Amino acid sequence: MSEDRAASTPGGTGTRAGRPVGRTAPRSRWGCLLDGGLLHGGVQGSPVLRLFLRWVRRPLLPVIRLWRRNIQLRVVVTTLLMSLGVVLLLGFVVIGQVRNGLLDAKVKASQSQATGGFAVAKQRADEAAAATGDAASSADGRPSPNVIQWMSDLVSSLSSGGQGAFDVVTLPAGDDSRGGRGPRASGGVDPMASVPEDLRARINNSMVAVQRYTRIVYKDSDKDPQPALVIGKQINDPNGDPYQLYYLFPLTQEEKSLSLVKGTLATAGLFVVVLLGAIAWLVVRQVVTPVRMAAGVAERLSAGRLQERMKVTGEDDIARLGEAFNKMAQNLQLKIQQLEDLSRMQRRFVSDVSHELRTPLTTVRMAADVIHEARENFDPVTARSAELLADQLDRFEALLSDLLEISRFDAGAAALEAEPIDLREVVHRVVSGAEPLAERKGTRIRVVGDQQPIVAEADARRVERILRNLVVNAVEHGEGKDVIVKLAAAGGAVAIAVRDYGVGLKPGEATRVFNRFWRADPARARTTGGTGLGLSIALEDARLHGGWLQAWGEPGGGSQFRLTLPRTADEPLRGSPIPLEPKDSRRNRGLEKNAGSSGGGEKRATVPMQATGERTAATRDPIASRPAAAVPAADPTALPGNGARVVPRPGADARRQEDASAVETVKSESEGSARPEGAGARDVTQQGEARRGH
Amino acid sequence: MGTDREGGLRRPVRAAVYAVCGAVLLAGCATMPDSGGMRDVESTSRRDTEVRVFAMPPREGAPPAEILQGFLEALTSDDPQYATARQYLTEPAARRWRPESSTTVLADGPGIQVDRTTRNVDTDADDYTFILTGSKVARVDEQQAYTPVTGRYSQPVRLTRDRKSKQWRIDVLPQGVVMGQSDFQRNYMSVNKYYFASDTGAGVPETAVADPVYVRRRVDAMTQMVRSLLAGPTNWLAPAVRSSFPAGTALRDGVAELTPDDQNKLTVPLNGRASKVGREKCWEMATQLLFTLQDLTPTVDTVALQRADGSTLCTLGEDRAVTVARRGPVKRPEYLYFIDDEGRLVRLPGTGTTAEPVPGALGEGVQRFGSAAVSWDEHTAAGVGSDGKSLFVGSLVTGGALEPPVLRSNGVTETDRLTAPSWDARGDLWVADRDPARPRLLMLEQGGGEPIDVRVPGLKGRVDAVRVAADGVRIALVVQAEDGHKSLLIGRIERDGSVGDRPEVSVMGLRSATPELEDVTAMSWAGDSRLVVAGREQGGVQAMRYVQVDGSTPEGPPPAALTGVQSIAASEDDRLPLVAYSSEDGIVRLPSGAQWQKVIKEGRAPVYPG
Repeated sequence: MSEDRAASTPGGTGTRAGRPVGRTAPRSRWGCLLDGGLLHGGVQGSPVLRLFLRWVRRPLLPVIRLWRRNIQLRVVVTTLLMSLGVVLLLGFVVIGQVRNGLLDAKVKASQSQATGGFAVAKQRADEAAAATGDAASSADGRPSPNVIQWMSDLVSSLSSGGQGAFDVVTLPAGDDSRGGRGPRASGGVDPMASVPEDLRARINNSMVAVQRYTRIVYKDSDKDPQPALVIGKQINDPNGDPYQLYYLFPLTQEEKSLSLVKGTLATAGLFVVVLLGAIAWLVVRQVVTPVRMAAGVAERLSAGRLQERMKVTGEDDIARLGEAFNKMAQNLQLKIQQLEDLSRMQRRFVSDVSHELRTPLTTVRMAADVIHEARENFDPVTARSAELLADQLDRFEALLSDLLEISRFDAGAAALEAEPIDLREVVHRVVSGAEPLAERKGTRIRVVGDQQPIVAEADARRVERILRNLVVNAVEHGEGKDVIVKLAAAGGAVAIAVRDYGVGLKPGEATRVFNRFWRADPARARTTGGTGLGLSIALEDARLHGGWLQAWGEPGGGSQFRLTLPRTADEPLRGSPIPLEPKDSRRNRGLEKNAGSSGGGEKRATVPMQATGERTAATRDPIASRPAAAVPAADPTALPGNGARVVPRPGADARRQEDASAVETVKSESEGSARPEGAGARDVTQQGEARRGH
Repeated sequence: MGTDREGGLRRPVRAAVYAVCGAVLLAGCATMPDSGGMRDVESTSRRDTEVRVFAMPPREGAPPAEILQGFLEALTSDDPQYATARQYLTEPAARRWRPESSTTVLADGPGIQVDRTTRNVDTDADDYTFILTGSKVARVDEQQAYTPVTGRYSQPVRLTRDRKSKQWRIDVLPQGVVMGQSDFQRNYMSVNKYYFASDTGAGVPETAVADPVYVRRRVDAMTQMVRSLLAGPTNWLAPAVRSSFPAGTALRDGVAELTPDDQNKLTVPLNGRASKVGREKCWEMATQLLFTLQDLTPTVDTVALQRADGSTLCTLGEDRAVTVARRGPVKRPEYLYFIDDEGRLVRLPGTGTTAEPVPGALGEGVQRFGSAAVSWDEHTAAGVGSDGKSLFVGSLVTGGALEPPVLRSNGVTETDRLTAPSWDARGDLWVADRDPARPRLLMLEQGGGEPIDVRVPGLKGRVDAVRVAADGVRIALVVQAEDGHKSLLIGRIERDGSVGDRPEVSVMGLRSATPELEDVTAMSWAGDSRLVVAGREQGGVQAMRYVQVDGSTPEGPPPAALTGVQSIAASEDDRLPLVAYSSEDGIVRLPSGAQWQKVIKEGRAPVYPG
């Protein structure tokens, strides 16, 4: 707790919610990494990493939340991704096939063209050789045939056959320009750059034509290089020296076709993806919209607006769902209506019965008083009976008046007549009223904290009734030990705690004490003739004030009942000046022993610290600890709701008390607060009925 | 309720309308368009199918024959300054060698022969001599003028082995460049540069005279042309023309390459010699440049001249240039003229097919004509009688009787009398008398007066046909030599002042335009420096072909074949079709890009004005 508070000081309150999430999740992830290798401990890197991760995560968080919450988004995105994948795959396959088809056709045509060209070149070389051979035989000087012009003419005539369809290049055989024959090229082709080195080497060593894909580079022109098929062969010139003849077929047309196919496919694919996404969106919308509507309606139904219904249009599955939902809601409303009627009837019945019993009881009372007055004339047995009769009539009357009171609460007829009063006077009045009983029990009642006036806006009669109930209970169960009444005021709240050191309360009893007709030990005698409704009425009184009435106890360690009231009526309570568990509880004493001089228990605040139970709760649930830290004086057990309208649910409370045995509290849980008033009232009535039946 | 029903009716209607619209749109996409907006067609650059030779530097340790081969090959490459070729030379030889001094064109390229007379028996000798042989076809001189030559070519080339590097290099070689004819045609092209006729007569705008030169095609032809133009006309044409550029004008120092900008405007920076010229002179200079560059790249339409300091001297556009000087015919011929069956001079408008007699006496059939010529302005015509005896001149205006002949020939036979006449741009009439006793070339000033005997120095034989070019400077003569061979000669007309009141006119510098043709039957000017000729090669059949005035063969295909061509009429305006008279088919016409078409069977001697 102290750590948390220290940590909270620099940062704002608002960031605290995110921090535990951000801290724990990356730790586990980066932990593996750090353990695995470089930075053991990672003291230096981890803050940077954490900052970086937070920086990365922050913009992503809304997206992730949207992703988790929005089924429509999930379905549409998944559909888009899947269709995109399929379209891409299809595109690759189709483009690949088209490409192969185009290339096959082109390669076949090119090969036949090139083969023809090689044949022509060979033939021309033979012709030229024959011609010059004749000339040479006649001339005496043996002039070598003029290859320079012959070669240029050859390239020119070969390339003139296919303007634009192919270009012709000759290169000298071998790595050097043997015979001084420079490269020749038609169509502005750069021969050295366009014919790859490896092809030249290969042609050099083989006598067959070889083909290869390459990229034509154009010289001295702004024409872009383009892919091409080059077919080359080594041929002899008229002198018998080899040279390399290449046919370069630009694949421009094929590339255009391919890009046309590509463009078509891409467009079609885009449309398909968009279409699929739109379909998914539409379908999911058709389904999700009614579901969302149903969720909203269900929420409103559970909030008590039972007349909410879904709009149903059409006759499809969704309409059937809506109809069924509406039917369910209708039935629920009907049943709840019936139950409410029943409970109202029962309350009336109880109230009526109490009223009706009053009249005969008055008569019986008068008769019994007469008998009681005359009891000394009776024989001892009869006299005893008369006394018993009078006692039980007293109890009966008290019971009737309690029943009337509680039925007034149930009917909501109880009215608060609040005015500023000094609670010390009420306390003193109650204590002096309880003195006789205390003397009989041998108990001393001490009042603590009455040095200053403790003024609160409250109904004096009701507060006195509460306190009397508490003090009398304390004296009765105090087993002759002291009873301490403690007063305190702080932070808009006043509190009165009544502490006894009797048998105490067993775990789970701290809430049950407020149940109607509840008895700690059913076998125990009721010497003071309590009706079993006193604490219930006290609780209702406290709620009427907007206050809390809570009990704490430990077996053998006594118990403490605390009444907390707002200083001004209608002001919500945020905490109590007196801790529910007293400092001299067994547990606290034991803890102090163990902790030695750590001094954690004593706090300087006038508002005492929360009990251990709260601390365990805080560590268990970090979210809940935030408001506790922000308003340290608040009592978490009473936070979520206004006690005036809350009726505890035994089952839930019992569970909670088993979890935190030390804290016995009337906790108003969220679902309890959300429950409609009528239902809660009926619940109580049912409990009362059930108990009465037992 | 009523509105509801209305809405209910309207909605399907609207939906149907939308559907129909969509269907129409889709249908539009699915069919080929048959209408639509206009768009400019991008001119696809003509694909350069020319073969390029890439010069390679000499290989380490290459033998002498290979060095020589590599050198000759490098000469045929596009190397701008023959840098690669120079690597085959020894250093002194590279300094001495001037490739631009001349280009010798051999029929089959240079053959390599080992010179046995100088060859040492010792194979380890440090020099080696080859002889380059071949048969000469032509020579391009330093002025880049083409001259047909004949004869054997034989030049020694000596290689020596460098003492240090032990590499063979060429040490002695003939100046200039030598290459085969097809390599020459691949690497060079003929471009006309334009000068102004020095003597055009009064009141006539400057006449541009074409002066064809050969430049290397792929080595920055535009700058070459500008330099060549600035350097002045070639020797042959120089006496008859003048250049408007002041003497010594050249490109400014440091100007490497001229290229037109995006607006097809070429800026030519000149040196200080041209800085002071006046506006009119500058326009003339720019006109010369523009005509020349348009012959090279027709897209250039504006020329700007810059002074030495970089300021603009003047800017001249295409539209202004045509007012400064005239290129080609004075005006576009309106009619094609010919002689019909009845010996009348008739005319055929444009591309029509019905001939009408010309107005005036020549169209009336009073006198039967054998050939005729119409002046450039198409106001006057001259006709030679069908017997070739007399030359008549008449106005092409209705009315008026035929005037007596202005010239008579005393030739015995029809073929020994007058040739077909020809008008020049000044309005003078040229005709030749074939009388073997007194063959002469005659000029009649303004188509009348006493005929002037034109001196033709160096003429061997008699003139058989005369055609004066539109520029009035050059004249094409078909000359029949003593042995009966007819050849086409081109001469330039020089008017040397006057003897008394009669001008002295001579035709100078006769040179053959068709050295390979043996028998020229008909010819006509067909361009600024181009003629169309029907002739026969030695041992060949008659064929038609184009020839350049310098004797070279222009690029492009010859006209489609036609047999029995008697006479040809072509216009220097290349938009007009070529017309010929064939003994078989009568008058036929060759529209560009088509085959010969018959025009009229009954007729002969077709002529365009001129």
